[in-house]
Amino acid sequence: MKYVPKEIKEEVNVTAVHPLVNFGYLLGTVTLAGVILYASLGFIAARLATRIGPETEEKIGNTLIAGLISDPESASDDRIIYLTALAESLTPQDPSLPPLKIHILQPETASEDDLANSENAFAIAGGHIVFTQGLLEAVESENELAFVLAHEMGHLHNRDSLKAMGRSLVFLMLVSVLGQGQSGGARVIPATINVANLSYSRSQESAADRYAIALIVQHYDHGGGSLGFFERMQQQELDLGALNTVTEWQSTHPLTRARISRIKQIAAAQNWKMQGELTPLPEGISCVDFVCED
Amino acid sequence: MEFIIFIALLAIGFFAGSYAEQKHYLEIKQRERKSLHVPLMNFGAKQELPYAHEAQMFVGSVVIANDYFKTFAATLHNLVGGRVVVYESLLDRGRREAVLRMKEEAIAWGASQVVNVRFETSNIGGQETTRTPAMVEVIVYGTGIR
Amino acid sequence: MTVAKRRPATAIILTTLEGVPGKEVIEHYGLVQGSTIRAKHIGKDILAGFKNIVGGELKGYTELLQEARQESVDRMVMQARQLGANAVINVRFATSAVAPGAAELFAYGTAVKVQ
Repeated sequence: MKYVPKEIKEEVNVTAVHPLVNFGYLLGTVTLAGVILYASLGFIAARLATRIGPETEEKIGNTLIAGLISDPESASDDRIIYLTALAESLTPQDPSLPPLKIHILQPETASEDDLANSENAFAIAGGHIVFTQGLLEAVESENELAFVLAHEMGHLHNRDSLKAMGRSLVFLMLVSVLGQGQSGGARVIPATINVANLSYSRSQESAADRYAIALIVQHYDHGGGSLGFFERMQQQELDLGALNTVTEWQSTHPLTRARISRIKQIAAAQNWKMQGELTPLPEGISCVDFVCED
Repeated sequence: MEFIIFIALLAIGFFAGSYAEQKHYLEIKQRERKSLHVPLMNFGAKQELPYAHEAQMFVGSVVIANDYFKTFAATLHNLVGGRVVVYESLLDRGRREAVLRMKEEAIAWGASQVVNVRFETSNIGGQETTRTPAMVEVIVYGTGIR
Repeated sequence: MTVAKRRPATAIILTTLEGVPGKEVIEHYGLVQGSTIRAKHIGKDILAGFKNIVGGELKGYTELLQEARQESVDRMVMQARQLGANAVINVRFATSAVAPGAAELFAYGTAVKVQ
């Protein structure tokens, strides 16, 4: 037996494929599968959400609100009575939905100070609408306040917050599968429970806006002043020119500018008046029980 | 911002990784040609002991890790399944490097051949997450005779 | 997979012995090796997860590994053919986990010419 030195010239143990081509194939496959999975699961979740009974919805809502406000039941504030009456005057309670409950997020009682001070309002499953103290300090007329209220009522009417939670749950599932570990899931759970940040799709936002403007016009006979809050917000927003479309695409909340013009378009199409006399807010709306201490 | 860092890491991983790989392959091929005259075989355990003056064991080992780009591609492979192309060159390089280290040591000692060569591969990166790069030790051992 | 199609016309003898019984080794060409790395995919993972509840053979994985091992042998044989060998003796397999969810199937042997 003798040794014949020979060289192996051809690489057989390495597949001859460019790494970038291979990477593109992988990324494409995963993205496609992910999109299909996300869409189908989101669809199922949305279907499920609309089938949840009002009682279950109330239970879910109560757990969520408990994480936000320390003692929502005992909170007594005359402003809540005023806001509930305002909501009732906009549209009577829909019997198929859980009864409307309004909360005001005070920096003292809220679990997050920053949230209470921001100008925000949001709807939570189970008929809860939360106004922040910051928002009540910022509104200048009842029409504005009523529009914000009506917008959130629109979300409740369309059961958007349940649907959004369903999506979040789907997202949570996806991430935990992709990450194949607890670490990935743990990071998403707080984001899912953070109801203040529940993101609605832009079509859901537009639907809520449509719902709101219709209620406002019906109640006040005109839509004047109702967009004042947004118009002031718009002035704070940076005008990025051509970049606007990019930022709008990135965020689920439509840019305020686009939002205002969309609402105005709806009003114009329906021949609604967008000017009229403003209804003033009650004295001391920014203080508990309307009593301001100096 | 995180996304930009991620893309940057991918790009660095890809370009630096490919460059290092090409260089390493050139070097491996050169060294393989130089040490081709000493035969390696993986039999010899159950035969009569070969006629030789001396014998000694030689071990060549190397620990190799993936670059960021390949690690990410491997994560995707975990979802898609099939042949993990990105790891192939990694292990091929590692194994050939380990063989060369063993062989060069044996040649320096003056071996005329290395018999009963065995390979061992083990993962030392742990199993916790898919994000940690693969760390693999390749060890080659055999008996050199002269 | 085109593993089966790449099968050579003149078969290379594979043995796990240190020679080929009934034949004499006349030349040898050194080590040949073939390796392939495979990842299981998520679909099979989920099915395997269900199977883990009741136990038993994981058919999907058995097939996956068989196919992969065949490929590593084929790659080894391709190297042997490049060297002009007609047998690979003392074939050994080594399977190792390279990364979570990915395994390497490795085969090696000594390429020889027998008569």
